[in-house]
Amino acid sequence: MPRGRPSSALRRRLLLLGLPAAVLAGAATQSVRVGADAPDRWWSPGEGRVFPATLDYTNDHGTIRTLVVDGPIETKGHPFFEPIGTNGRACVTCHQPADGMSLSARTARERWDATGGKDPLFAAIDGSNCPTLPQGERASHSLLLERGLLRIERPWPVRSFNGKPVKPDFRIEVVRDPNGCNSGPGRGPEAGNISIYRRPRPVANLKYLLAVGFPFDPKQGYALPLDPDDGKPQSGNLMADNRAGNLRLQMEDAAASHLQLMGKLTPQQIDRIRDFELRIYAAQQESVQGGALDTLGAEGGPVKLRDSQPGALGSIGTPVWSEFAAWDRISPADAARLTPEQLAFRQSVARGARVFRDRTFLIFDSAGINSRMGFGNPVRNSCVFCHNMTQMGNDVAPGQVDLGTTTLPFADPWDDLPLFRVTCLGEPHPHYGRVILTYDPGFALTSGKCADVGKITLQSMRGLAARAPYFSNGLAKDLRAVVDYYERRYNIGYTEQEKQDLVNLMSVL
Amino acid sequence: MKSAATLLALLAPLSAHAAETGALVRFVSCPVYRDADSGKKSGCWLADDPATGLRWDVSHSPYKPDVGMGVLVEGRVSAEAPTACGAPVLEPVRTSRLDTPCVRHVLPAEGYPGRKFKLPPRNIQPLSVARPVPPGPYAERTFVTYFEFDRDFLVYQYDDFIIDNAVTWLRAAKPKKLIITGYAATRPETVTGRKLAERPQVAQQRADAMAETLSRLLPGLPIETRAKLAAQPTDHPDADGIPGQSQRRAEIRAVF
Repeated sequence: MPRGRPSSALRRRLLLLGLPAAVLAGAATQSVRVGADAPDRWWSPGEGRVFPATLDYTNDHGTIRTLVVDGPIETKGHPFFEPIGTNGRACVTCHQPADGMSLSARTARERWDATGGKDPLFAAIDGSNCPTLPQGERASHSLLLERGLLRIERPWPVRSFNGKPVKPDFRIEVVRDPNGCNSGPGRGPEAGNISIYRRPRPVANLKYLLAVGFPFDPKQGYALPLDPDDGKPQSGNLMADNRAGNLRLQMEDAAASHLQLMGKLTPQQIDRIRDFELRIYAAQQESVQGGALDTLGAEGGPVKLRDSQPGALGSIGTPVWSEFAAWDRISPADAARLTPEQLAFRQSVARGARVFRDRTFLIFDSAGINSRMGFGNPVRNSCVFCHNMTQMGNDVAPGQVDLGTTTLPFADPWDDLPLFRVTCLGEPHPHYGRVILTYDPGFALTSGKCADVGKITLQSMRGLAARAPYFSNGLAKDLRAVVDYYERRYNIGYTEQEKQDLVNLMSVL
Repeated sequence: MKSAATLLALLAPLSAHAAETGALVRFVSCPVYRDADSGKKSGCWLADDPATGLRWDVSHSPYKPDVGMGVLVEGRVSAEAPTACGAPVLEPVRTSRLDTPCVRHVLPAEGYPGRKFKLPPRNIQPLSVARPVPPGPYAERTFVTYFEFDRDFLVYQYDDFIIDNAVTWLRAAKPKKLIITGYAATRPETVTGRKLAERPQVAQQRADAMAETLSRLLPGLPIETRAKLAAQPTDHPDADGIPGQSQRRAEIRAVF
């Protein structure tokens, strides 16, 4: 297929979504033309395409836009886009522009169907449930295809954290190993490793995830650790388990594991990847239901992200998701320029932002919130308590929090994930007690502390529409499932209208 | 430091005069959460003194209880009306979470509004706000941080504020080294019929925790740590006149 034209899949989605009718409603809804000239949806390693300064792809909710500062970028020879490892993958394999620089489960399925499972995405090392399974069978890749999960192999026991020796204060045993990667020869805790399964986090808007707002980590009770490279405080917001505190460490980890790079990244490669990662922004630009997200005073889309200072706490500055505050007071004249559906959707988004900030509920038994910090257990607050950074909704402080998404009894009972029994050897966990059943101990695999079992770093809320499913283990298949999880976890009592408003808000971020 | 007489006055008995403003109250109990809703962090923390049967509003503590765990309450009777949470108020007050399980008890608001959250006086500015350089001359000086009972965890919007101020001064003063002394109140005291004493090792743990934090904030500055047991109360202002709080401390001494 010629470059610069929509793929068949993209054309199909455009038709299914009725997008042309939605985006042609007039200037009130359309800032720029989006989607129509997007190049092929899938970016394969080593293609040598030019990465445009602005690039749009459609999704179920509208259009995601990536924006590269001082773009375009020539990807030929660029280490983010070239298969620099041994398995044919590049960074871009799991950080696709159409998926907000992450990877959706749908994209993985489309890639399987398009290649018969031969794409490097499905490399045995982590693109299958376990390398020991028959790789040609779809079932061997079910976690990636159904929930967008990659296998992450962590060393056990953890021996150091923040440059200091660590001796874990818990024991870990395998209760259930449905994929065979935590038992058998050379696999599992007794063999010195643990396999867990996680979603790839988006590589975009990284200045926000690297920003440091205050000098302390109140969840851990220390000043922030220092970056081993530049001596500055680290944000602690890059990875799900906080195992890499800066981009160099993250990319070295990823290159060795996901790309199976046998040697080391060169300093030049590290610099080029970092340069790209700090220049790319991603956010939803257009809504199927609401139209352009940067019209009638709204400030959706990546331009606002590019132009704003990172690291601001919404509660003492610009409120989180105030980008859509203008839609709370659309004038009658402006309203008349919208379709009734567009108007209703925009008002719903603005309400959703207020629900996100102001609708309080009791938060209980969540380590990182209710312990060891002194907020108390329970504490009444809203979504923005943790999702507190202006423009991004990640945590200004290092965001290791246990929502229960990976740990019983709060996590859904999925029998295709490994289940571990953690036994605290010192003090019991502040909420789970001495024995914990978990699919993924999360931050505890990095810190070695039983009190950190189940903590997963909050991530960016931008580009959500492009990268289902959600939470680190793909627990929520869509945006409504995210709201439903919080509803049942904290017994919030959201009204149906509040739930829909939150879904609509998340669909435009 | 004040005289021994002043310190004795600070330690003066408790529940007999508990209703008098300024009287010291100290007891062990199970906390009760009242789900008052005046917005974020507006709920009430209550605790019953088993010796008197009085229910106190302990919500002003910088670190709040866990509704499923016991609590050590130390505070002074306040003149604040019991309108926010439905109980007389202790302020200043400290609550320390104990390792004894409690029956969880969450009350509805029952018409009490709680308190609309406002930032406590001890809260730090973002890093984007420049800290004024404290004027010299600089000489040996000691900063004091405080802890929950038997814990070494830095208290949010309390210790971080103290440390932030200390670090601002230390960066300007450029001392030769820091000597951090962790203290533990290891001498047993009977509170509500329960013998309470901190673990001896928590003294060193407090010193180590402060040393780790200061090594990150002041990289390269030599730090020595020490531990002292059987800590005595002090009248340092950041302990807010609560003797038990003043015992559970770490002192950061700048040496030139």
